[in-house]
Amino acid sequence: MSAKLTLFAIIGSSFLLLVILDLVRRRYLKERYALLWIITGGLFLFLSIRKDLLYGISTLLGFVMPSNALLGLGFLFLLLISLGLSVITSRLSEKNKILAQEVVLLKKRVTDLEKKCEADNPSDEKEDSI
Amino acid sequence: MKILVIVPAFNERITIREVIVRIRTFYPQADILVVSDGSTDGTGRVAREAGVLVLEHSYNMGIGATVQTGLLYALENDYEIAIQIDGDGQHNPQFLSSVVEPILQGRSNLVIGSRYLSEGGFKSTSLRKLGIQFFTGLVWIFTGRRITDPTSGFRAMDRRGIGLFAEDYPSDYPEVEALVLAHKKGLGIEEVPVQMRPRRRGTSSIGFLSAIYYMMKVTLSISIGFFRGAKG
Repeated sequence: MSAKLTLFAIIGSSFLLLVILDLVRRRYLKERYALLWIITGGLFLFLSIRKDLLYGISTLLGFVMPSNALLGLGFLFLLLISLGLSVITSRLSEKNKILAQEVVLLKKRVTDLEKKCEADNPSDEKEDSI
Repeated sequence: MKILVIVPAFNERITIREVIVRIRTFYPQADILVVSDGSTDGTGRVAREAGVLVLEHSYNMGIGATVQTGLLYALENDYEIAIQIDGDGQHNPQFLSSVVEPILQGRSNLVIGSRYLSEGGFKSTSLRKLGIQFFTGLVWIFTGRRITDPTSGFRAMDRRGIGLFAEDYPSDYPEVEALVLAHKKGLGIEEVPVQMRPRRRGTSSIGFLSAIYYMMKVTLSISIGFFRGAKG
């Protein structure tokens, strides 16, 4: 890996890490969902600095060029992150459905109760309309 | 006997009133609940003016969630039988009593109104027929039962069915999956012949691409659901 590319990888992954940490700090990103991102950014930075480790991994996995190993790892992590996001989306949409259904049923109960109240005390009718 | 007729409806303002009137005529002993799935054409208002129970989703959540909302209402209000009938006028309320009959006699927990059982029954386009045969085959593989009209949304269920589906009902294209689920949970399933009218206005909600998605989605969820543990 050329010195230029190494420098670029270090700067790039540091920047990514900083952005992630700042998002967490400002509560735009929950720690829970930031974890995989932080691991990805951290690993990238670590491997860009400790090039001997990156070389080791790339030989181990059979990559001809270490930079390709970095790219491959990045791709793998992106896949994991998006899969995780799909899981989260599915869970959220299920929860959202349950909530929406509960709201519908509650709304119906409230209107029924209101009607019943009105029928029981017709004199109070005006009070609500303020 | 508390019986609830659930009418899932999405933008059916034109047909909903007639459906309600016909249900009242042919099955006056039941309460009617229209569940409007985020309709924007005033379906809910029209139904309310007709004097039936109305639940309105805040946004469009799909037929599965709509039917399930109705079943949740049935469960909460202690109905013993729930019937599902479409709001677009395709299903003929004349057959409500025949769909309920097997449940009243204690023979079945879930009854499907089939348009293919009756003599001189429903005329389908060949493509649709092919799709339905596909699902019939699929259901047969997973349950060993031959259901002639597995996609029919004209069905009745008892308390067991209500309880099961109120808790767990597929979100889109739910009919076929629900059948397999019911079979897995040991519910008695039966088909009775009904007549369906060809849709008077609008087109079927299923186009070609959605038909492909329909088949793939249902096949996937049934196959995976089959391997789900006791929880599923």
